[in-house]
This record gives sequence, C-alpha cells and structure tokens, in this order.
Amino acid sequence: MTDEPGRVIEARGIIKEYPYQGDAVRALRGVDVDVSAGEMVAVVGPSGCGKSSLLNVLAGIDPPTRGTVRLLGDDLYGLDEGARSRLRLRRVGFIFQRFHLLAVLSAAENVELPMAEAGVPKRERRDRARELLDYVGLGHRTAHRPPHLSGGEQQRVAIARALANRPEVIFADEPTGELDRRTGAEIIDLFARLNRQGTTLVVVTHDAKVAESAPRVVEMADGLVVGSGVRP
Amino acid sequence: MIVAASLRALGRRRGRTALALAGIAVSAALLLDMTMLASGLTRSFGDLLGVSGYALRVTPKGILPFDSEAGIPGGDAVGERIARVPGVKSVAPVLGAQFRVVRGDSAGPPLFTMGIRPGAQFLYRLVEGSEPGPGEVVVSEPMSRLDGIRVGSTLQLAGGAGVSLGRRDARTVRVSGVGDFLYDYAEQRSLAMPIGQVQRATGRPGEVSLFGVAAADGVDGDDLARRIAAAVPEVSTLSTRELMREMDRRLLYFRQLATILGSIAMVVTALLISTIVTIGVRERFGEIATLRAIGVARGRILLAVVTEGLVLAAAGCVAGLPLGLWMARRLDRILLSFPGIPARMTFFAWEAERVALAMGLVIAIGGLAGCIPGLAAVRSPLSQALREEAE
Repeated sequence: MTDEPGRVIEARGIIKEYPYQGDAVRALRGVDVDVSAGEMVAVVGPSGCGKSSLLNVLAGIDPPTRGTVRLLGDDLYGLDEGARSRLRLRRVGFIFQRFHLLAVLSAAENVELPMAEAGVPKRERRDRARELLDYVGLGHRTAHRPPHLSGGEQQRVAIARALANRPEVIFADEPTGELDRRTGAEIIDLFARLNRQGTTLVVVTHDAKVAESAPRVVEMADGLVVGSGVRP
Repeated sequence: MIVAASLRALGRRRGRTALALAGIAVSAALLLDMTMLASGLTRSFGDLLGVSGYALRVTPKGILPFDSEAGIPGGDAVGERIARVPGVKSVAPVLGAQFRVVRGDSAGPPLFTMGIRPGAQFLYRLVEGSEPGPGEVVVSEPMSRLDGIRVGSTLQLAGGAGVSLGRRDARTVRVSGVGDFLYDYAEQRSLAMPIGQVQRATGRPGEVSLFGVAAADGVDGDDLARRIAAAVPEVSTLSTRELMREMDRRLLYFRQLATILGSIAMVVTALLISTIVTIGVRERFGEIATLRAIGVARGRILLAVVTEGLVLAAAGCVAGLPLGLWMARRLDRILLSFPGIPARMTFFAWEAERVALAMGLVIAIGGLAGCIPGLAAVRSPLSQALREEAE
C-alpha cells in the first residue's frame, strides 16, 4: 500500500465478518476505498449493505476481519487500542445519527469534553466551545442541556463537538436520520460549509439530499463498492 | 469533566439515588456496629481492669477471677509473698461471699459481698462517707438509692450458710460509706466490708478469692506477672493482656456474629452499589459508546464509573456513621441489661482506626462494585454498542 501525499484514508481489501449463531455473516466483502484531503464523500446504498460497517472500519472503531486501513498516514489497526483512541480523539471527528450528547452537560460542556480529554487548557476550550457553537448557530444556547434542545439543535451541538479538536477528517453516520427535512437541509449546508473550509468528510447516508450535496459518492450494495463517482 | 458528568448522572434520578443511598447508609451503619462489636467488649473489659490501677489478678491455680468459689488458702501469707516481689506496688486481697439483709423474720435476696482491705482495694470508689472499719460496710450506690440506705444506717446481715440453715445469726453492721462499684451490673446491690469480717462470718479464715496487684511505675505488667508466677507458683497470675485474651476467647461467638453480620452488610452494600451503577451505566450505554468512539480512553470512562460507586459509598458512609452510632447506643443499652454484665462496660467500642477501617471497607466496596459495570461498559464491542444504540 502506498502512502500518497494528500491521501487521508486508504483502505484495501476490507472484509468484515460478524459472528452470528455460530456462523459468520460477511458485511464487507473486499472493499477498497481512498479518500483525499478536503474531499466530501457520501457513502450510499440500501439498508444492510455495509455502509456503517465500512465507516466503523475506516474510523478505527471496528477492526476488519481482513484488509488494511491507513488513516492520516497511520496503519490504523497496527496501532494499539490506546493509540487508536488518541488518534480518534485528536485528529478525527464523529457525528452520529442519534447525537449521543451527554444529557447532564450543557451544550458548551459537551463541546468542551473532547478538548478536556485532549488536555486543552480550560480557558482555551471554553473560548473555542463558544466559537464553535456560534459557528453552528447556537451561540445563544450554550448553557442549555440536550433535553432542552430540538433534534436539529442537538445535531449542531454534536457537529460542534466533532470539530472541537480541529479534526482533519470527520465521519458522520446518518447525520440527518433523526431530523425533519428542513433541519436536515440546515445540517447539509453546515457540512458543505465545513468542506469548503477544507475539512474532509465521510458521510454514510441514505438521504438523497445529503448524497446530492457531496462532490463524490461511493455506492455500496451487498458488502461491496458497486460504484464511485465524482460530481462535476 | 467526564467524572463530573458521571456524578451529575447520579442526580438525574434523585429518588432512585436517594433510596440506594439510604440502603447503603443502613449497610454501612451495620458494618460499623459489627466492627465496633467485634472488639468492643474485650477492649472495654481491658479499660475496666486498668481503671483502678490494679492491673494484675492473682487467683487460685487455673481459675479465672470469680469463675468458681475456689479460694486461696493461707491468703495472708500468699499476699505477703506477692508483696515482696520486686515491682509490686500494692496487693489488694478480695474474698467473695453472699450475705443477706435480714429484716425481722425475713431475709432479702443474696447480695454480692466482697471482703476487702480498706486501705488497698480496687473494687469501688467511695462517693460518700469513709472506708469501712470493723463492724462497718460500704454499700453500692444502687443499694443506697433503691433501699434508702444512708451513711450511718445500720443493717442486719446474715451470711449465706447461716440463712440456709435457718439459724439467721444476723449481726448488725453500720454503713460507713456509699461506693461506686466498678464491676457491678446496672442496679446491682453489693456490699464491701473488711476481709477479716467476711472470713469470720463465712467460716473461711485466712482465705482469699483473688488478689489485685498494682505494679510500680514503669514496671511492665506481663513481666511482673511472670515474676509473681515464679515466686508464688501455687497460684495463677494474670496480666490485663492475658485476661483480655481469655475474654476474647470467651467472646468468640460475639466476634463470629459480628463477622457474619458484617460480611452480610458488605455483600448488601456491594449489591446495592453495583445495581445502581449498573442501571445508570445501562441507561447511558449510548453515551458511553459515543465517548469511546470519539476517543475518550477506556481508563477514563472506567474511572468515571468507579467514581460513581466510590461517591455513592462515601455518601452512604456519611449518612451511615451517625446512624451506626445511634444504633450502637440502642443495642448497647439492650445488651448491657443482660444479667452479670458490668454497667461500666460497653459492647461497642469507639475506636477511630476501626471506624476508619469500616468506612474504608465500604468505600473500597463501592469502588469494586463500580468496577463491574464499568468494565462491562468499556469492554463491550464498540461497534456493536453503537449499532444497538442506533436501533
């Protein structure tokens, strides 16, 4: 495998099997994916085609059964668990379908949390959390806790949290899956803005609007990449 | 921040946390009481032995103080030999007997009566009047109070044998003082009178039940006991430490009870904390999986969960400490009402180290109990946890 300059993700021959009732279910059947710096890639396909499995493998959450992944120049699964966690904390951002904010923390505290874990000084992380919440349009709701925010607002906080440690790449798994159409559109706009500013995004989605907004689409079916195209 | 978030999560379900805390407090109180009980009586007994300054007991061979009616014949001579042992400061002979107060034709219940040497005795402290001379007695404070006996009153006393034979050869004695009898149980009626008087009245001339021996300043009690044993081999010499050891042996069942109940309290504490933390972790499974996904180290998440257990246990201890002390006072009152237990003793000894040990145990259990759900949370396959939460 080469380590090409500007290449953020380089996955080769990814096979992922899950044990199921004494047997192995193959979710990925030999996937090759490359993502370059500054790209926004939408991974699309029907339910159960292996989109989320691929995202988890690429992001260092779930090791593949076979194959290799280079993420930001590191052989991801050659790293030990602690090093992989540190890589995710400091250089990667995550956005989930169900937001998964800490309900007992305020919006600002949720954004501060990854910075606190990365050892960012208190004043600096407080200022940055405010900046990020301003960026996602929630500067007026910094003290609110997630249960007092709408779904769209919670996803914005989750995006701000993903940006906290200035990641080089963001992985998003069905980021609009829990949102209504209008709120989903706002999140898509936010992603587009982030991408224009240079952030690499890999978004798993079955939302056609999200896919349309991505300059590059990777289409999956039955555990395989069946198509990949760059929008002109 | 992650630890603070974990602790705030406890406040999310206030009612549930409060109930769990109440349970932990009760368990902590029980553990505290059992820890205090395990050594309380022995320690209290040791304190009581030392309070008079007569730390050693010399008894008939192989007999513990007042364990039987056996006596030391030729007690005066034995006493003199003990007094000559280097390091002995004072020797106090005691002869135990039973007398009854006779009023008209009827005799009262048997009274524990001690023959003592008025200038050297360790059984009571005078609270009123003076030490008894010939034909005089000192009565215990409850006897004075309950029977209306004052200094200067006279009593008709009959020895146990005389009464049982129906002869009732009572003799008149004058009450010279009222004493605080150190080894009496609550409301016990007791008498003390010169030892010669008891020896004559009971037909046991020269006999002594036991000697109390005071060591000179700076003399080790155990060393002195060994020297007395060598000089007077026909008697048993027991230091406070030996008596406490014997007491410990006799109170083995108390310690076993304390150990069993204490262990139950620890198990209940562990179950309570483990259950409440497990429920909390299950409710936040998605949050925890997300934290792991975004790169928070497993150790940090485990620390946060374990801290929940520790804080629950510590808070339970804070509430359990006063509860335990209150329970100990109540139980002590009940147990001390058993016949034959000196009122000055306590079943529950407050020892800072033991209390710290009990509370430390509860907190350690809290940490361990938090480890179980904590480890389960950080060891579960991450992708599976995220998938389950997304479904």
